Amino acid sequence: MDDKAITSSQTGEKPNQLGPLRWIWRPLIGRHELIVFVLLLIVGAVLSLGTDTFLTANNLSNISRAFSWIAIAAFGESMVIIIGGVDLSVGAVMASSGLVSALCLQGDLPVVLAIAAGLLTGGLVGWLNGTLVGHVRLPPFIITLATMSIARGIMFGLTGGWPVRNLPQGFRALGQYDLVLGSLSVPLPFLFMLGLVVLGSLLMGQTVLGSYIYTLASNERALLVSGVKVAQLKVLVYTLCGLLTATGGVLMTARLGVAAPTAAVGYELDIIAAAVIGGASLFGGQGSILGVFLGAAIMQMLRNGLVLLGFPAYWQTAAIGTMILAFILLDYWRRQREG
Amino acid sequence: MAPLLRTINLSKSFGTLPAIQEVNLEVYPGEVVGLAGQSGSGKSALCMLLAGLYTPTEGDVYFAGRRLKSPSQARALGIEVVHQEPDLAERLDISRNIFLGREIGWPLVGKWLKVPNRRRMHREAARILTQLDVHFGSLHEKVANLSSEQRQMIAIARAMTGPSRLIIIDDPTLLLSYPCQQTLLSLIQAWQQQGTAIIFSSNNLDHLLAVTDRIVVLRAGRQVADFRTDETSREEIVAALVGTNYREQLTPIIWALDSYYRARKQAEALCHQQTLLERDLAAQDTLNQQLIDQLAKQVNALDSANVALQDAQRRLLTEREQEHKHLAREIHDQVIQDLLSINYELEEIEVDERVTSALKRELTGVRDSIRGLVDDLRHICGNLRPPTIDSLGLGAALQSYTHDWSRRTTIPVTLDLDANLGRLPETIELSIFRIVQEGLSNVRKHAQAGAAQVRLQHTSPRSLMISIADDGRGLADDFDLSGLSAEGHYGLLGISERVALLGGRLKLQNQASGGLLIQAEIPHPRVAQPGGEL
Repeated sequence: MDDKAITSSQTGEKPNQLGPLRWIWRPLIGRHELIVFVLLLIVGAVLSLGTDTFLTANNLSNISRAFSWIAIAAFGESMVIIIGGVDLSVGAVMASSGLVSALCLQGDLPVVLAIAAGLLTGGLVGWLNGTLVGHVRLPPFIITLATMSIARGIMFGLTGGWPVRNLPQGFRALGQYDLVLGSLSVPLPFLFMLGLVVLGSLLMGQTVLGSYIYTLASNERALLVSGVKVAQLKVLVYTLCGLLTATGGVLMTARLGVAAPTAAVGYELDIIAAAVIGGASLFGGQGSILGVFLGAAIMQMLRNGLVLLGFPAYWQTAAIGTMILAFILLDYWRRQREG
Repeated sequence: MAPLLRTINLSKSFGTLPAIQEVNLEVYPGEVVGLAGQSGSGKSALCMLLAGLYTPTEGDVYFAGRRLKSPSQARALGIEVVHQEPDLAERLDISRNIFLGREIGWPLVGKWLKVPNRRRMHREAARILTQLDVHFGSLHEKVANLSSEQRQMIAIARAMTGPSRLIIIDDPTLLLSYPCQQTLLSLIQAWQQQGTAIIFSSNNLDHLLAVTDRIVVLRAGRQVADFRTDETSREEIVAALVGTNYREQLTPIIWALDSYYRARKQAEALCHQQTLLERDLAAQDTLNQQLIDQLAKQVNALDSANVALQDAQRRLLTEREQEHKHLAREIHDQVIQDLLSINYELEEIEVDERVTSALKRELTGVRDSIRGLVDDLRHICGNLRPPTIDSLGLGAALQSYTHDWSRRTTIPVTLDLDANLGRLPETIELSIFRIVQEGLSNVRKHAQAGAAQVRLQHTSPRSLMISIADDGRGLADDFDLSGLSAEGHYGLLGISERVALLGGRLKLQNQASGGLLIQAEIPHPRVAQPGGEL
């Protein structure tokens, strides 16, 4: 205990060594977001110099549109990872929420109700995951693997495997339209995502709920003893993840204009990767919405860049996997160093 | 009165291992119930059950008439728990931990979407920690960096954030030092007075006997005894703890336990004594400091009294000199002038032809005695006030005086004056004159000297050395300046007083060639150079 007291007094002195601009530096030092951001700039610079097509308004607009729904789903996934869990059902939830919305639209329901139905689907799956993990205390890996299959299976059953097409213009506008500001045209999904970055950051950083989410993985007992309803907290987090994933799914369906039961297959890996690259620790307790946003951006940029540089699409998975591995090792190394 | 807490056949097993078996416990408001038991007897498991952290295998816990189901419900109903090991959120700071689950802030929607008001939480936390007499450098410190004792005190502080009806304390004293243990014991009493019920589990029988109303003894998960603290004894409790009633078998165990407790108590008392001693030492230090301060004050007072005394003496001397001056002037201007005019009148009578020669002789005799009288009076005036000192200065006055003295005493005096003597302030000149006067009179009275020497020399532009030397007897070996006044010899004493009043230094010593040497060094304002602008 004495050793700890000594280290605490040492860290107490640290700010003085940082110089007059420490209020800028202090929050950034050791921040994962900074590392990811610098990496993003490097990748961006390399691609800008290496290809003629990367740094064009059209390409950038495509990238930002394409990673929006992955990022939104990753926000939810990162919360689940931060409480020490994992949600493998996100890909299936994206597909099923989009499909439910599409089916509602085919049944001539108004767009708003159709979207609500899609979100409800995601929320329901999340709630189921959360209840089984929180109240019944089953391991999240198994539970969400099961719900993934169930959701995907139901979608195949409902559609007979056929995609739903001919979605109304009002719905597709959500994913396909841009907000034009002078020479800049910003895709709507990107704007949705930016809004969620702000909301999510406020939720995680400023509210009591955020501090509970960060505490849950490592000090569940402290929360229990303090009278925090831990099981409910878990249900809430998984439900939030389901809702966010469904938002991503609806946006994706609106963009593609087609809802297929086979959509978003394998997306769970991309989503988890975005969360992990963005700094969400698989051991729990670490990560931020901003970091996840940057993580999703860098992944999409890499995908895009590999295509532009002329690599066959098959190599993408290997590149993404390598990056995940690198960031997991980084996380591990940092935890070792912190002791 | 209905019990606040009641357990009915409460049992808990981990797998096949029973931890608690059929415990029926009742706790009333404002009651302190002690839980005694050896390690592994199920005290902690019982505390967990009562806090809702364990789900009972069988039986139920009722609190205020409601069945307990979850820890959040328990806390909402007013049950606070302090565990053996503090459960803290490592990533959060001290005040966030104290208010964990009870954050103060602006509720946006519901309980969880609350934005904590850190400043208020810090203030409240500081208030609670002051009650606990625990102090941290900063409440922003993450609890991961704190010592076990500090963490445990934070856990105790957490139990004080809201209104509580039952506080369960599961032997946290293991992590606490002696003063903190005492704080906890007095807290328990304070809580009890507020009507809060307390369940206090402890391995320390002294603590249990000190604060509890009842002591429940657990052995191997079973409730084996329930004593009223006032009506039981240490031996009885120990017998229940170890589970035998045979006194013969019991004695060594009691003895061992008792001596263990006694040793522990002594160690604690020693520890306490040490802190008290340290405090005493500190108090003594401040007392000493105060005494020194008082002493310094008294010395200062004495100093100023001394200064005032010197001042008074200086004034006295000055006034005496003024009086002398006045007296001398009176005698000189009145008496001597009158005598001289009488003399003239007699002279005029003497030259008259009608006066017979016999009468003339008589008149001549009278005139001679008048002249003698005038001379005597002049001498007295000179002694009262050196006539030349005001007009011609110290040097002339000394020359006149030594010449006169030498004539009167037939002792030759050599006077050696500094060439740059100049004029000094009146009081200093007069004092120096008096010093020489008294020095020479000392030579005449005591020295039996054949010759004397007076020297005035500047040792620096701002100080003058007066040396009076003779070739007489010198000082006796056992000479003591302070003894002189007792013997009625004021000469040397007067010199030393005058020197002291002028802020100078006096040295009395026998010369190698015999005789006394008086040296007085006297500071004075800078002397104007002769021939300079004056």
